[in-house]
Amino acid sequence: MKAITIALLLLGVLAAPAWAGQGSKVYELGVDGLGCPFCAYGIEKTLGKVDGVDRVDVDMKRGVVVVTIAAGADFDRDTARQAVEDAGFDLRSFAPAAEE
Amino acid sequence: MRRRVVFRSLVVLVLVFAGLIAAAWLAFVPWPKEPSYVFIAAWGGPGSDPGRFNDPTGIALAGGELFVSDSRNARIQVFDRDGNFKRAFGIKGEGAGQLGRPMNLTVFGGELYVADYWNDRIEVFALDGTHRRTIGRKGSGPGEFNAPGGVAVAPNGDLFVADFHNQRVQQLRPDGSFVRQWGTTRERGSAAGMFNYPTDVALGPDGTLYVADGYNDRIQAFSPDGAFLDKWGGPFAINVHGPFQGWFATVTGLAVDRAGHVFVADFYNNRVQKFAPDGTFLTAFGEPGDGAGQFDHPIAVAVGDDDTVFVADYGNNRILAWRPPGG
Repeated sequence: MKAITIALLLLGVLAAPAWAGQGSKVYELGVDGLGCPFCAYGIEKTLGKVDGVDRVDVDMKRGVVVVTIAAGADFDRDTARQAVEDAGFDLRSFAPAAEE
Repeated sequence: MRRRVVFRSLVVLVLVFAGLIAAAWLAFVPWPKEPSYVFIAAWGGPGSDPGRFNDPTGIALAGGELFVSDSRNARIQVFDRDGNFKRAFGIKGEGAGQLGRPMNLTVFGGELYVADYWNDRIEVFALDGTHRRTIGRKGSGPGEFNAPGGVAVAPNGDLFVADFHNQRVQQLRPDGSFVRQWGTTRERGSAAGMFNYPTDVALGPDGTLYVADGYNDRIQAFSPDGAFLDKWGGPFAINVHGPFQGWFATVTGLAVDRAGHVFVADFYNNRVQKFAPDGTFLTAFGEPGDGAGQFDHPIAVAVGDDDTVFVADYGNNRILAWRPPGG
């Protein structure tokens, strides 16, 4: 019985990374004026400190920031706008991109 | 008769317009006064292995060694001047001596000064990578930073820091205590002495402070006593960007050689421009691409005592070396 319990716990730990991606949400933020890495790093910095944000990817050429939100966490336009404005930019658009 | 008048009027208009364009060209687009530099070598490439980069964003020289901010890898890499990897230091984090996004660098007194954009501070290391001290913290008050982009150090040890999001340049004592600032905290502007996201700073041999005024697409110069001296980059240096010689399209880094020449990383124009200490355009080198002598957005520049110029080629994740013609 003890061996089965340990095995189940081990299985749970090993499977945790797979669960982590389950239910996460992805949003695409349109941001004007992403001129250079200094801008990109600023956006990553402010959005990365928002509760629930797992990952921030900046596409400078398209002027798009892709934000991945952890499962169960909230993220809305106002939160995105505040973070983008804190980095010195304006939020042009906000849309869910995909659900995993 | 009427047709002839209209035709003559049109001709006059075209001539006046052409004359204005020619006058503007002569007034605002300088000719090179020196030949261009010669490409020597390139090294690097994308990745996280030793000698490869994930966003090189800063570069500095100390004797025979070249220090590079490898920003997304949160480390400093050290090379010899031929591009051979020697060592790396720094790990990602927020603790003392750890790095977030290291940007422009400077070396002074046997120490490496790192502007850490994410951790809002200046980290100081011995050249072997041993952490020495931390200067500053997050904020907008005196001696505080919001995303420092570059740092310079005067002979007396005073620091000059491009405080990117605070829209100012601060002068601090070696212990981090505040001396003075240029620009108005958190206020952007294009008038003389105001900034629009300053990215880097450098000091001339005479003590002149040069500021890469990033999104104003210009360089500003201040005398050792703090007075505004000059600005250049586009017509009247008032935030007009363009591809012409002497103009900029986002300035992200600069360096001054021992003779006082100012080298500017002209990010979106994919070139480095060289100026006399008074801002006179001298020459430019580089073009867009990923081949020999080409840039994909040069972001930082350093000049050796032998006049070799090293450039961090951000988009190509590599370093390029150039020399003056005949050098």
